[in-house]
Amino acid sequence: MDIQLKRGLLDVCVLAAIKDSDSYGYKIIKDMKPYIALSESTLYTILKRLELAQMLTVRTAEHGGRLRKYYRITDRGLQRIADFQNEWNEMLSIYRFVTKEDAGNE
Amino acid sequence: MNKNDFLRQLENDLCGLPREDIQERINFYSEMIDDYIEEGLSEEAAVQRIGDVKEIAAQILADTPISAPDTPRKKRSTGQIVLIILGSPIWLSLAIAALAVVFSLYVSAWAVIVSLWSVFVSLISCGFAGLLYGIGLAVSGFAIPGIAMVGAALVCGGLSVFTFYGCKAVTKGAAMLTKKTALAIANRLKKKEEVRNA
Repeated sequence: MDIQLKRGLLDVCVLAAIKDSDSYGYKIIKDMKPYIALSESTLYTILKRLELAQMLTVRTAEHGGRLRKYYRITDRGLQRIADFQNEWNEMLSIYRFVTKEDAGNE
Repeated sequence: MNKNDFLRQLENDLCGLPREDIQERINFYSEMIDDYIEEGLSEEAAVQRIGDVKEIAAQILADTPISAPDTPRKKRSTGQIVLIILGSPIWLSLAIAALAVVFSLYVSAWAVIVSLWSVFVSLISCGFAGLLYGIGLAVSGFAIPGIAMVGAALVCGGLSVFTFYGCKAVTKGAAMLTKKTALAIANRLKKKEEVRNA
């Protein structure tokens, strides 16, 4: 898949993983696993990028005697998901056009 | 490999990056490994799940751009300026000496590489020249010396293949080392600048 496209998609996936409730690194990977595989290093880069873009906030909390970072989505993050859904509708109609063209050539 | 080995190796491989960046990475991977263990994986298996530490570190370094410090300098007081000017015969010469040492190390490292490559070039040119000369000799009646010459040329050619791969590896290693050193120096400067501005 085109690397820029995949990057954007993964950003939205991670935002979706924290949309309903705060989450942490391991849980994000686990929740995404049935849909898309993500390495820990990739997740780190994405979380960092989303934090810089102010699409999520980070807080550290204690868990079982150690520290864990929790990520919470911001309004800007929610907006990104909404934008993605709109873009996707556009993409779908392009897809339909492209595949129709293919069928016509056969 | 256990968790501590993994984290220590990562810290080691990332040296040159800013201290706080390294710490953040270490905390992230440490949390991940602990969460895997909490889910029932053994420590070894959890570390294995994260992946090869060398590859991870290499990827992180590759993704890190070398950034030069660009923060504006703080104004110095008159007293400081006077001191700097009065002290210039000492610190200026020391600074020049230090720069010269660094520069000479750099130049000598690359000089070794250049000389290795010239060994390669001379071997391969010996190979070609010897081959032509040997054939010439053999054709013009000196069969034995001609064949010996061709043999020697082929040996040169063979050696040149070996030296080519050797030179390539050394050059690559030196380039990596140069990038790492540049990163370390850039970050050191950046940190100093931050301290000064704090």
